Amino acid sequence: MSEATTDWEPRIVAFLCTWCSYAGADLAGISRLQYPTNVRVIRVPCSGRLDPFYIIKALQRGADGVLVSGCHPGDCHYISGNYVARRRFSILKRLLEYVGIEPGRVQFTWISAAEAERFAKMMRKVTADVKALGPAKRLVKDYGAISRLVD
Amino acid sequence: MEEKIISKSEIGTLLDKLKEAHSIIAPVHRNGELSFDRIDSADEVVLEYSNTRKAPKSVFFPQQEVMFAYSKTESGTQVREPDLEEDVLLFGVRPCDVRSFLLLDKVFGSDDYEDVYYLRRRENSGIIGLACNNPRQTCFCTTVGSGPFNHDGMDLLLVDLGDKYLAEAVTERGEGMIDNFSDASDADKQKRNDIRENAEKGIKPVVVDLEGLKDKLDGMFDADVWDEFHTKCLGCATCTYLCPTCHCFDIYEEEETNNSGYRLRMWDSCALSLFTLHTSGHNPRTSTKERTRQRIMHKFNYFVHNYDDFACVGCGRCVQNCPVNLDIRDVLSTIAHL
Amino acid sequence: MEDQIRDTAVKLLKDGSVGMIIGYEAGTLPLRASPCVITNAEQTDRLVWNMSCGSNLATYLPSVAKANPDQKIGILAKGCDSRSILGLIKERQIERDGIYVIGMPCSGILDRRKIESDLNGAEILEAHIDGDKLTLSTSEHPASSIQYPVSSIIHSSCSTCQHRTPVLYDVLIEDSSGNPNALSAPDASPYEQVEAMESQSADERWEYFMSEMSKCIRCYACRGACPFCYCTQCFVDQNQPQWFGKTTELSDIAIFHLVRAFHVAGRCVSCGACARACPMGVDLMYLTRKIEKDLDELYGYVAGLDVEELAPFATFRKDDPQEFITEPD
Repeated sequence: MSEATTDWEPRIVAFLCTWCSYAGADLAGISRLQYPTNVRVIRVPCSGRLDPFYIIKALQRGADGVLVSGCHPGDCHYISGNYVARRRFSILKRLLEYVGIEPGRVQFTWISAAEAERFAKMMRKVTADVKALGPAKRLVKDYGAISRLVD
Repeated sequence: MEEKIISKSEIGTLLDKLKEAHSIIAPVHRNGELSFDRIDSADEVVLEYSNTRKAPKSVFFPQQEVMFAYSKTESGTQVREPDLEEDVLLFGVRPCDVRSFLLLDKVFGSDDYEDVYYLRRRENSGIIGLACNNPRQTCFCTTVGSGPFNHDGMDLLLVDLGDKYLAEAVTERGEGMIDNFSDASDADKQKRNDIRENAEKGIKPVVVDLEGLKDKLDGMFDADVWDEFHTKCLGCATCTYLCPTCHCFDIYEEEETNNSGYRLRMWDSCALSLFTLHTSGHNPRTSTKERTRQRIMHKFNYFVHNYDDFACVGCGRCVQNCPVNLDIRDVLSTIAHL
Repeated sequence: MEDQIRDTAVKLLKDGSVGMIIGYEAGTLPLRASPCVITNAEQTDRLVWNMSCGSNLATYLPSVAKANPDQKIGILAKGCDSRSILGLIKERQIERDGIYVIGMPCSGILDRRKIESDLNGAEILEAHIDGDKLTLSTSEHPASSIQYPVSSIIHSSCSTCQHRTPVLYDVLIEDSSGNPNALSAPDASPYEQVEAMESQSADERWEYFMSEMSKCIRCYACRGACPFCYCTQCFVDQNQPQWFGKTTELSDIAIFHLVRAFHVAGRCVSCGACARACPMGVDLMYLTRKIEKDLDELYGYVAGLDVEELAPFATFRKDDPQEFITEPD
């Protein structure tokens, strides 16, 4: 679990779809666009492949923020993966916020392969949002609660 | 052994004194539920109650415990072990639950195997019990070798006489706890006897005589009776987790980082389908039929073969809490009458 | 209504229309009923019907059908149970013509926990319902009786139920209970509780979530009671990889319930069997209700009404709402 010090930097996991969002991230790199280094990218074939398990697991393991990005609706490489994902994530996001996960910790967006600038802007926005929320504590696993260990 | 009188107002003083040397675990209200937990002050203790929903076995056998934690560093692997040295005093425990500890002792402290996690905690503990003046409709402790005023396994037994408690010392340690109190009079002792008789009568007439049950079950593995009631079973772990004597566990590791993690022991349940799943994918207990049969056979046959006692203390928690009201007393009665 | 059920059962078993009937029998304690399976006409006297018949019997269908492939299975179904049955047919876990549904118009199941907590530890010795009153005697007042208007102790799943008459049945038992709650319009919107929670702050909602989760003992009674938890390997039992822990550490518990609620999204009919099964009184329905509301609002989907309708996650529309998407500016 990260500690909130003045130089605390959030650690954000970003699930990016191969065909659009990851390519967009790649293009941002090639174009030498500047954006914060807080994001750790995990490439998936399609946003529709992303099981909610991954998002929840990331939170449990201490990710301060999670971003999922896919192709714009209508442009999915697999035709309808992102349509399916849209419904799934819509319900998941509402459920997580309903139980008290701070809005802004888990975010979803669409970024295409050509949108290098959009990618960079998104990284800046998400990083700023999560930084303002502080280190994640909710849903983070606390082994201390189930162990009293002698050093 | 000594029998003394403690007035209701003096219980607080007794607890305060004992708290100086021990962590006291007693029935308290936590989050709307009465359960055994460490107390901060004597005021929290509830002694007017029938029984807690969860059994106090978790004091010695927690639902999950870390067996060790490891972390690999440049200088080698560091292993940390749990703190088992807490000096604990259980206060206000019912005779059935205390008896369950004696049964668990047989499993965790046998000739073949000594479970350090359980045994160290047991060694570091004392028990002050509370007799049952008003057993519940679902109690059947007398059927399985115990009773509402049974003091086996306790250091001290408290009996509520209405305006005061009669304290029966059972061990020398128990005697030491009540040194400063005044002796019980003959009238007090008679009152205790009367309440005890009443309580024993109050337990629903012995459901069924379990004499000979073990022998009967010896030949019943393939009997038809197991087809009759299992379908309603949901295959959840409610009965096993709330049961004071159920003790099955699973051990597995969790990685916290690439270089550190924990080995955990956790409660497991024969009622869950995963319990007997082999790595090959074969599961010898494919349905609730085999698993409900296992529960009965283990408690009333296998455990008797191994340890000469029923693995049941008649607390009635499974009867009260089973989501589908699968009543073990009915099952035993059916079998006994076959 | 009990007589009608028994007569129907006798007929069905005798003429071979069904090989067995899943119903309810009397419990061994006051205010309890217990699921049962009867296989011949002599056993039909065991069948009961009352306000303690809270189990969703549909949960037994997939396994009983699988174990008895050549038999037609009779089953008692309340309104909610019938919607679960429809859902199971939609998911091809059972065949429509493999079952014979005895529809039970239902005016609600009791919330036994509400009564028990009101009695503050006193044991219920006897209980009976007469019209719109529940009368009890307890261990504290064995001679006298305590009364509750039935309407005050109906389970929360029932007080807002919109489908009291089964949506699917082969025979419908006539409601002769004379119960004033019978088939009356529900008193409140099923989403009122959700709205009340939504209006609270994230901190308040987290506090409530944690206080409920801390009660859970991971017994999986909720999973067992639910008709839609029929996976041969539940996600919590997966260990290659081990997604989530099985401990009672709060995040492990919270994740089990969040994911389970998510997995029954679009299938859950808020029958309340999970909440009634839970030995610890965890407020399980508050999560599933939220998903139910969202599916209704976002996609106009209500579970268990139309067997042809595709499940909400099995389909999509090009213009599905996406207000949740983040735009960078």
